[in-house]
Amino acid sequence: MTPSSVLLNLALSFAGLSALCLAMDRHHRAIFHGAPSRKRARALRWTGWCGIAVSFAAAIITADWNFGPVQWLGSLTGAALLVVGLVSYRPGWVRPAAVLALPLAAVAAFLA
Amino acid sequence: MAWLHTWAGLVTGWVMFCVFVTGTATYYRTDISQWMRPELRAAAVEPGLAAERGAAYLKVHAPKAVSWFVSVPQEDRPLIGVYWLDSFEAPIQQAMLDAETGAPTTVRATHGGDFLYRFHYELQIMPVLGRWIVGASALILLVALVSGIVTHRRIFSDFFTFRRDRSAQRGWLDAHNVTGVLALPFHLMITYTGIVTLAFTLMPWGVASAYRGDELRFFVEAGQSPAWQAATGRPAEALPLAPLMGRAQAEVSEPLEMVIVNNPGDAASTVVAVFEEPKGLAHRHPQIVFDAVSGAVINRLGTLKPAAHVFTSFLGLHEAHFAGPALRVLFFLCGVMGSATIATGHVLWSVARAPKPGTAAGFGLRLVRGLNLGTILGLPIGIAAFFLANRLLPVALDQRATWEGGVFFAAWGGAAILGLLRPHDRTWREMGTAAALLFLAIPLVSAVTTDRGFDFVGFDAAMIAIGFALAWGARKVSRYRGSARARPAAASKSLARA
Repeated sequence: MTPSSVLLNLALSFAGLSALCLAMDRHHRAIFHGAPSRKRARALRWTGWCGIAVSFAAAIITADWNFGPVQWLGSLTGAALLVVGLVSYRPGWVRPAAVLALPLAAVAAFLA
Repeated sequence: MAWLHTWAGLVTGWVMFCVFVTGTATYYRTDISQWMRPELRAAAVEPGLAAERGAAYLKVHAPKAVSWFVSVPQEDRPLIGVYWLDSFEAPIQQAMLDAETGAPTTVRATHGGDFLYRFHYELQIMPVLGRWIVGASALILLVALVSGIVTHRRIFSDFFTFRRDRSAQRGWLDAHNVTGVLALPFHLMITYTGIVTLAFTLMPWGVASAYRGDELRFFVEAGQSPAWQAATGRPAEALPLAPLMGRAQAEVSEPLEMVIVNNPGDAASTVVAVFEEPKGLAHRHPQIVFDAVSGAVINRLGTLKPAAHVFTSFLGLHEAHFAGPALRVLFFLCGVMGSATIATGHVLWSVARAPKPGTAAGFGLRLVRGLNLGTILGLPIGIAAFFLANRLLPVALDQRATWEGGVFFAAWGGAAILGLLRPHDRTWREMGTAAALLFLAIPLVSAVTTDRGFDFVGFDAAMIAIGFALAWGARKVSRYRGSARARPAAASKSLARA
């Protein structure tokens, strides 16, 4: 349950939730000026759920079954709040932030 | 269901807002305690030696007590705390000793973070009544949470939605939904485990009827506390504590937290070494019981039976002692979101019922608005005044710790009365600004009145952040309130949808 393990969780959850958010018409429109195609929405949804699943796996591996689930849920809450904040106040930042979260997760995974 | 959610939330919201805010602050109880005792620096004193110093003080000042409790110096409180019971009916008495000398300390008297912690579940009124009010409110809050999930039909499609460009009411509803839904696992967990924590207060009859007046035996049989050994009445010389503690420490990897001496000076005296809880979800303290005269080990407590283990795990999950600094930030954030859910719910209630332009607000609306002001801004004003009182009250003041609490309630009460008298939009802005200024003043007052300057970086940063958040929130409230009145048609339309 080191800070880098929490950071890894946060970064993965953030990337996953951002993808899920972009898969929704309303938010996709706010960022890309148009609804996503069906294929694109499905791809984003898959990416999003995979991100959340990987985040869960990372929590269990780095913080075991005792604290892993708690840490995973906490990171989902924190990351979701960040997504909502960005989508409402700085929609243009969602995509770059989600892309940036992946190398950040890699660094955190290396440290954890 | 919407009706149930609205009214269950409204009637318990004021109490639960206070419980959430003080509980969230309690995640940083040790940091608050450290800040409130600025004279103290960490002192490295061997725990066994500290226990002996405490016992030496008690031997002089409480020779007839039935139990002595000596808490050894901790990182957040480098003092020896001595507590004693003159009889089982008598209230517990206490003194704080210097860790190095064992003499009563000259550090300012304060309850520290324990004040907010106790308020969190007892409201600082009569303990049993306070626990009943908090417990009953938490039960109704659980109803409000579940009915809220049912009422909120678009949890997933509105998951990331916060529309700040629409009507005032839309904005407050979205804010209420977002803070409620995103931290929902936390809200459910913390409310449920909180109720479980108070289970013995809310439902004492199970234990009372099964153990018939000997409730202590329940905790003994549950493996949570050692059996009580009655005094013989024959005096006997007890062994020195330090070697006993050394033997106990050799068996347990966690640091010593407290030493309990039962029937001190008696032939049947026992010494209990209580250790800090091991890393894990469960909140349980390993204990080793010694015969105080012979030094033989009587009992070892640590592993719990399944039911007790589940109970202590719920307790541990609620208190989050296991959380490291990063996870603690997330717990704190969730607590803030819980407070925000309640606060936005209350503001939403009054915004949705704003009277048409030109008509006066009814008594109920005025009352709710006043109580909202007095709670949502009054409590932060009280907390800020409490911190300022810690720095500004004279160090040698008699009953100083009580005075600090008095300032907390006086400031809060004053703000609440003002809110009830003038439940206007302008009052939100003014009181919000006042609360913000009070929080921003805390680091400065602390730097001027103590020799620690800006040593407490984390605490100071938190105060400044809270100050800015309050200023920003107060501005939002006054602005949205205004536009809600300007567009009553839009408001009533979205009310019908909500």
